[in-house]
Amino acid sequence: MKTVGFRSIVLYILLAVFLGGVGYMVANQFLHGREWAMQPYNANLSGQMGDIKDRNGNLLATSQDGERLYSEDDTVRRALLHTIGDTAGYIGTGVQSVMGDKLTGYNFITGLNQTVFTSMTSGLDLTIDQNACTAAYNAMAGHNGAAILYNYENGDILCKVSAPTFDPAFVPEDIETNDAYRGAYLDNTLSGSFTPGSIMKIVTAAAAMQVWPDSWNERTYDCWGSENIGGSDIVCLHGESHGTQDMYSAMGNSCNIYFAKLANDIGSDILQRKAEEMGFNANLAFGTVTVAKSTIDLANVNANQLGWAAVGQYTVLANPYHMMTLMGAIAKGGTYTQPRLTEGRDLFSDRSPASRKLVDATTASQLKSLLRSDVEYYYGDWLFPSGMSVCAKTGTGEVGEGKDPNCWMVGFCDSAQYPYAFAVIVEEGSGGIETAGSLVSAMLQALA
Amino acid sequence: MMEMLTDFLQAGVLPTVLLLIRAVVPVLALYVVWRSYTSFKKGQRRRDPVIMLCEEASGVRFPVLYWENSIGRSKSCDICLPDATVSRDHAVLMRREEGWVVCDTGSQSGTMVNGREIKGQKLLAIGDAITMGDVTLTMRNADSPPETRRRIFKGFSTEAASPMKLMVVATLVHLLMALQACLTDGTFAFTQAIPSLIVIVMGWGLYIYSIGIQHRVSFEIETIAYLLSGIGITLLSTFYEEGVKTQLIAMFIGILLFCFLIWFMNDLDRVSKFRLYIAAGAILLFALNLIIGTENHGAKNWIQIGPFSMQPSEFIKIAFVFVGTSTLDRLQTKKNITEFLLFTGICMGFLFLMKDLGTAAIFFACFLIIAFMRSGSVRTIALILAGAALGVLLILQFMPYIADRFAGWGHVWEYVNDSLGYQQTRVLTYMASGGLFGIGLGQGGLGGTRVFAAENDLVFGTLCEEQGLLLGLVVLMAIALFIFYARSDVTRSRSTFFSIGACAVAGMLLFQTCLNVFGATDVLPLTGVTLPFISAGGSSMMSVWGLMAFLKASDERTYAARRASKNGSRSQARPGRNTGEFTPPPRSEMPYDTGYTPRPVSRPPSSSGAGRRYSKPAGRHSKPSRPQPPPPERRDDMEDISS
Repeated sequence: MKTVGFRSIVLYILLAVFLGGVGYMVANQFLHGREWAMQPYNANLSGQMGDIKDRNGNLLATSQDGERLYSEDDTVRRALLHTIGDTAGYIGTGVQSVMGDKLTGYNFITGLNQTVFTSMTSGLDLTIDQNACTAAYNAMAGHNGAAILYNYENGDILCKVSAPTFDPAFVPEDIETNDAYRGAYLDNTLSGSFTPGSIMKIVTAAAAMQVWPDSWNERTYDCWGSENIGGSDIVCLHGESHGTQDMYSAMGNSCNIYFAKLANDIGSDILQRKAEEMGFNANLAFGTVTVAKSTIDLANVNANQLGWAAVGQYTVLANPYHMMTLMGAIAKGGTYTQPRLTEGRDLFSDRSPASRKLVDATTASQLKSLLRSDVEYYYGDWLFPSGMSVCAKTGTGEVGEGKDPNCWMVGFCDSAQYPYAFAVIVEEGSGGIETAGSLVSAMLQALA
Repeated sequence: MMEMLTDFLQAGVLPTVLLLIRAVVPVLALYVVWRSYTSFKKGQRRRDPVIMLCEEASGVRFPVLYWENSIGRSKSCDICLPDATVSRDHAVLMRREEGWVVCDTGSQSGTMVNGREIKGQKLLAIGDAITMGDVTLTMRNADSPPETRRRIFKGFSTEAASPMKLMVVATLVHLLMALQACLTDGTFAFTQAIPSLIVIVMGWGLYIYSIGIQHRVSFEIETIAYLLSGIGITLLSTFYEEGVKTQLIAMFIGILLFCFLIWFMNDLDRVSKFRLYIAAGAILLFALNLIIGTENHGAKNWIQIGPFSMQPSEFIKIAFVFVGTSTLDRLQTKKNITEFLLFTGICMGFLFLMKDLGTAAIFFACFLIIAFMRSGSVRTIALILAGAALGVLLILQFMPYIADRFAGWGHVWEYVNDSLGYQQTRVLTYMASGGLFGIGLGQGGLGGTRVFAAENDLVFGTLCEEQGLLLGLVVLMAIALFIFYARSDVTRSRSTFFSIGACAVAGMLLFQTCLNVFGATDVLPLTGVTLPFISAGGSSMMSVWGLMAFLKASDERTYAARRASKNGSRSQARPGRNTGEFTPPPRSEMPYDTGYTPRPVSRPPSSSGAGRRYSKPAGRHSKPSRPQPPPPERRDDMEDISS
């Protein structure tokens, strides 16, 4: 009996394993419960999130009787879908997904229980301006694309719109099958990358400023509309021949041949390094959201490919959020202010770690004068509300397959009153200034 | 301040009240679980010698401490005789219904009683001389006063709680949960409480049967089983209505099975007589399962007869323990475990053919516990484990799809929407949603969105989501404490049969709990076994109640009271019955009658209520009318002899 009693100690091995497992389980729930609970499929989530308001106090989303309700205006609902998120939680970058724990008042002790305290603290005020967003959405006129604008001084994102979109209050039944909704769950401002076209010339110009710090604006190249570089033709838009161009005129005329030749003189290594310095191939974080990378790969390119890459074709891709921060950096002397969607100490307003220097101060001021000259002498200040002193560059990224190009405009206002940096892209638009320019204009108009 | 008040009213008072109820439930449940265990420990017999064996030649006295004692030269024997003429494991001295018996366990020189060589079991009387080799021991009464030693840790309470009190608190837990069930829709729906009320009726029925009719003194294990069954059934009643009737019927049959098995195990001769039939029956049932069984979600472990379906493997668990465990004389004579190994092999073979891997793992864990407790050989266990590992490797080699089923283990978040991680991620999400106190009975997303197996394999997630992590942990603690129940009975039980059986059951249930809970929460691969008492599943519910009988039978008080009630009125006329042993220890040292110890002659005879007196340990929850409650400090020296 004694020996049997002694041998029963073997049960303690099992008990130790059990206790270890339980400890591991509870510790994990303590550490990761927040993320676990904030899953889009969680049926307990949607009905009890707090109110979301824009910077002017307009109610964007609220909960009533266990149901999630959105703005009464259907254009607002569509325009802000990707910023706020949908009820089902498919839009993982929306506030309702990313800041669900704050909105629901989740904590380890009470879980998702609604207590007196959670209902008082679960509201959220966004930096978004509802009117700017609807203006941008309307200006897109049904095209797909992205528009994002922020205050480069304090980081407030005022406008953030992505299309295709849908009405979160009445989710279309054919959302999975209808091609018009393809990619509707994706926020193009954060998760999209597009062929940049001519806005890439800003990067090429910055590389030239590094190679020839004193003579970059004196270099000239001749343009005859089309030229064989590295075995095939590089052409300017509509085959237009620009004649002898220097940096300012080439930027204003968006001369492809100038920048293709310039890039070949700079060399692919330097251009690649410069682009990476300016945020290409880098993981930019926006709160806890990882932004899609802008990408460039100039390894083993020939002269023709390098020429096309220098004007934003070849395999180069650009992300609107990244482009906006790059514009913010140029406007602010090289280092950008981390964008944010909420004020206070929240996930989306954490500014310290991601701020980075994208260009040096000299280059920033030189680029600023280039971009200002674009608007002043080529696009026309009449496009934009007066007094904003917009500095910008358009781009038409050719995507092939018989589709119309991606129309870009990136830039900023060199103005203390309107410290806005922006990046917009409209897919299958008619032209940089016509399509993207009027979109920017609409946004700025709403904010003026 | 006004805003706060408005918010409070808007949020409604009901959710807050329900939240408070959910915060109280785990506290009450914890009280029941913990006090059941401490009361169980308090009620146990002290480690006093039962009788003495004296070597007349030298005057050395050997105290006999257990109901089954091995005698031999080996140091591991309960009574160690360091004499070359005594075999290592010479004989076994056991207490049986009829008195003390001795039997030889294959010794070299044989065993003699009063000078006559014995064959088989030989009944002894006080004064009989047992000769083993050159050593002769005479059986004497244990008359020396026990040494008193204080326990360092007395538990949080020095008094044992009365079974009635614990049952009342457990019932309160059920009533609070039933109240929640009634209020799931925001209005009071009384019909929702019916399952809980039926559980309460069954629980108290068992209580009346056990305490009132059988005059048993302890009710702790039943209280825990009642508590857990009620929690499980009320939980299921809000989202799995179709299964609740089955659960209730299964609980009823389970209680009957529990009572039957306790009766059945009272007579060890009967058990050993039926052992072979039980083994054969188990194998037959497996074979039947394999032939006419139906496949359900990958495992062919169901038998469907008309409207009834059952999982035979659940019942075979009980048979498995019966076949595995053994009395001490058999342990000594048949040291190897070949027979049991063979039976295990057959069972495992069937389970693999049925593709029921979770149950196979449970059987294997149970086998390991029994095998180690029987053989004590680390080498044998290591060998078996190595063999099993090889087997598993071979299986994975030839049936790679089995490994594929577990491919998501450890990184289920990469498989949120496919079968490898769907269930586990849901469990984790909803468990976290529940927090410590749960989001409310019937409000859960795991059951509400009908995640597959939310009522059985994933039931721990449902429990934690709706009633909170705290209650989940209390339930786990209740199951884990069975280990301590079994361990503290291990040398006090009437036979190693009960000791090994109780340990095997406690280990089996804890292992099953590990597989269920850790499988659902991605600590282990998800195998799909039930959580004892909580999961939906009639066969599982019955089987778990049946297994409880082993824990109950291991407690020597279970049968003591029965005997007392049967023989109470005759006790004075034939004290100690055939054995002739008779020296009553002071009454204060005998907190209750074990049934084996002689009864004091001084006890006044009474025709009625005699059984009652034996049925309750004096002084446990003494009433003023009870004569001579022992002074409390005398009970403090009760000591856990197994530790």
